[in-house]
Amino acid sequence: MRRSGGQLLTLFSWLAAAFLALVCAGLVIFLVARGWGGLGAGFLFGDGPVWSALAGRRPVFDGIWPSVVGTLQLVAGASLLALPVGILTGIHLSEHPQRPPGRVLRLAVDVLAGVPSIIMGLFGFGMILVLRHTFFKQANTGLLPAMICLALLVLPYLARTTENALQALPESLRLAGPSLGLTTGQSLRRILLPAARPGILSGVLLAVGRVAEDTAVILMTGAVANSGLPGSLTGKFQALPFDIYYLAAEHRGPEDLVRAFATALLLLGLTTALLVAARLILRGMDRREGWNR
Amino acid sequence: MARIVTFVCLSLALVAFIGCGGESAEKAASHDTPAAGANDPFADLSGTLDIAGGTAHIPVMEEAAREIMTAHPGINITVAGGGSGVGARKVGEGLVQIGNTGRPLSEDEIQEYGLVSHPFAVDGVCAVVHPDNPVAELTRAQLQAAFAGEISNWRELGGPDRPIHLFTRDEASGTRKVFWKKGLDKGEISEGANVVASNGAMKTAVAQDSDALGYVSVGHLDDALKAPRLDGVEVTQANAAAGVYPVTRKLFMNTKGEPTGLTAAFIAFVQGPRGARIVQDSGYIPLTAGH
Amino acid sequence: MSFFTRFRFETAAAWLTAAAVGAVLLFLLFSVWPLLVSGEILGTLRGGWRPFAAEPSYGIGPMVLVSLLMAGGAVLLAFPLAVGVAMFIHGTGSRRLRGPVQALVAFLTGVPTVVYGFVAVILLVPMMRHLDAGTTGYGLLPAILTLALLILPTMILVLDARLGRQDRLWMQTGLALGMSPGQTLQHVLLPQARGGLVTAMVLGLNRALGDTLVALMVAGNAARLPEGFLDSVRSLTAHIALVLATDTFSPEYRSVAAAALVLFLLTSGLTLGIRYLASSGESA
Repeated sequence: MRRSGGQLLTLFSWLAAAFLALVCAGLVIFLVARGWGGLGAGFLFGDGPVWSALAGRRPVFDGIWPSVVGTLQLVAGASLLALPVGILTGIHLSEHPQRPPGRVLRLAVDVLAGVPSIIMGLFGFGMILVLRHTFFKQANTGLLPAMICLALLVLPYLARTTENALQALPESLRLAGPSLGLTTGQSLRRILLPAARPGILSGVLLAVGRVAEDTAVILMTGAVANSGLPGSLTGKFQALPFDIYYLAAEHRGPEDLVRAFATALLLLGLTTALLVAARLILRGMDRREGWNR
Repeated sequence: MARIVTFVCLSLALVAFIGCGGESAEKAASHDTPAAGANDPFADLSGTLDIAGGTAHIPVMEEAAREIMTAHPGINITVAGGGSGVGARKVGEGLVQIGNTGRPLSEDEIQEYGLVSHPFAVDGVCAVVHPDNPVAELTRAQLQAAFAGEISNWRELGGPDRPIHLFTRDEASGTRKVFWKKGLDKGEISEGANVVASNGAMKTAVAQDSDALGYVSVGHLDDALKAPRLDGVEVTQANAAAGVYPVTRKLFMNTKGEPTGLTAAFIAFVQGPRGARIVQDSGYIPLTAGH
Repeated sequence: MSFFTRFRFETAAAWLTAAAVGAVLLFLLFSVWPLLVSGEILGTLRGGWRPFAAEPSYGIGPMVLVSLLMAGGAVLLAFPLAVGVAMFIHGTGSRRLRGPVQALVAFLTGVPTVVYGFVAVILLVPMMRHLDAGTTGYGLLPAILTLALLILPTMILVLDARLGRQDRLWMQTGLALGMSPGQTLQHVLLPQARGGLVTAMVLGLNRALGDTLVALMVAGNAARLPEGFLDSVRSLTAHIALVLATDTFSPEYRSVAAAALVLFLLTSGLTLGIRYLASSGESA
């Protein structure tokens, strides 16, 4: 009986992995079949020379290059805001699992995780209005409010996965630091965090993926159909997920549908590139520190 | 570790700067643009104009913005969606200068926000079916009965023996409002009807389902759909413009109080002859055609 | 000691997070305040959604049930699959395939919701129509299937993070004791990782409850109680999205605040409930 239990699970896990691979392949093939034809320099940069568009010397109307830049900026800004706060919160949670402050904070993180993206968008929009009526009369939708709301959206993922990764470490590691005379901070920095890095990276990947693809939040906090390259943190901006949504919602012909699929391919390519970059950085770090690999 | 963090931060900052740097370079360039006309109302204007509102307006707004921005690099116009209600709210709260609606403003909106409406186009709304559906003509009575759920099989409308799949628009939709008011004479729409959130979603739904019955803005009609005649009237832009096809609504630009400066110039542009051409190219009917 | 070693950054960060949550809560309460004060709040939970009827009612009851059904169904489908794939990555899968599968999962997390929804509309909905001639293809079942797919990568990543570094130690121990990888997973690793399992379930449930676009594009959005799995249904999130664009001063719009509050209470309540149940047996 025991033997078969293990075997059943093994079989099931293989089937699950196969299913995943199948779905992934199916999705990519479908998108490529429908959208590959739409990709090209014209799709990105509209009509006109590519270099002047890249250098920002001419506005791009028919191309989605501004959306690419907008998405990258969103990811950069939201990550800068969310990564430190989220990871640090996760560290704090793992250090204080049971005492009342830890409990309340864990509660708070869970509650934040439960806030759907559309409510986060409503919150962002509401905050802008509140600011407008009180301290900051010039408040408006734009890049910065969108970044902040996106950061809030992914904060719980980061905190939770960091906490889980640190807690999953064996007790021996946790004791190693103090036994050598290190302070908690030093233990964290030199032993625990490097050990928990793969787990933390999973959280970072989740967060970055979520920021790049979320539509509901940016819809309410500043994404527009057409704004050119984002000029400043307070300006309106374009973003790829919004473009996909807009094309899907308002397509006026089969060419628009092709553009939608092409944009989806581009966004997928972008996220994949970001994730690969993150992995390469991680591998570089491991090679340098020679940790147990 | 610190080195990696610094590297990551620097590259992120670099990306951010590339984007920001672009804008100022854009504004600095002023070559290779067509010469502006003598009486160009935009000649001395510059700055940013933000527009938001119903997604149906975006093609017109985008094209107008593009023509103006190409001729005048100092002007930046952003166009957002969100829906009619959001458009009214945003312009009322001062977040944007122009808020577009696909329906007339409500009393509350006018009073609370002090909004002024500027119609700029007429849009027809028509019932649509799948191209393979043999039904080519519907009377108003049939349409009402079908949408109310009283008729539930295409057989009763002269079609095949198949159930009718109803599609309607969301509560906020100006398209829905005018279709309900003028197409269905305020008749009931069945509770079981599928609700789609946009013209594009309606198109996808009907184009994929040979038993579907929905309604869509005339500007969105193409070969993927078929519009049966209503009470004998063909659904065409010409008929709508002439008033022969009755189910039409106006598209409005709204401002908080009377518009000035760049806003006023933009509105005048869209309501004028060049705007009328853009409206027509986008599939709508210019206001100057006798409405 | 310098400021940087003494100042507990992580504590500050944690309090910042708590403050953010507080702000969101306040905002929700504030938006619902007019409804509470005017007494309309009870009406929004009772009755159906009939804004255009002769006697209009603005109840969101059906939407609440539908949200729960959709999310519950999605998690029911996705959770076992997530555990399966996580097991594959951390033990039962062949060494060579482990990395590619992890990469696949990371790739899938980047797929936008709108793409899932759109592909579902074009591929899944026509398939549903073959099941029953009366259905339009949009409904509860396709929404559940699509949502399950949406939350799957997230759940796998969370489990992956939890099983993380421990897998090698425990797998070696199991092997030394004569157990197969499957047995080690079943009897040792997974019970150890209970915290991760709970987290995965919670995050998946939250994501499914809070997702707007899939529900909006695939579920049909008829605002009434479903009688079968192929019926057109409307979730709370889709309701908010649909009604958001109405006249800000209309009674329809006020239901948005109520829907938002109920949605928030649902997700928080379920999250806290599951955590409480799990913590009564969890090791620190």
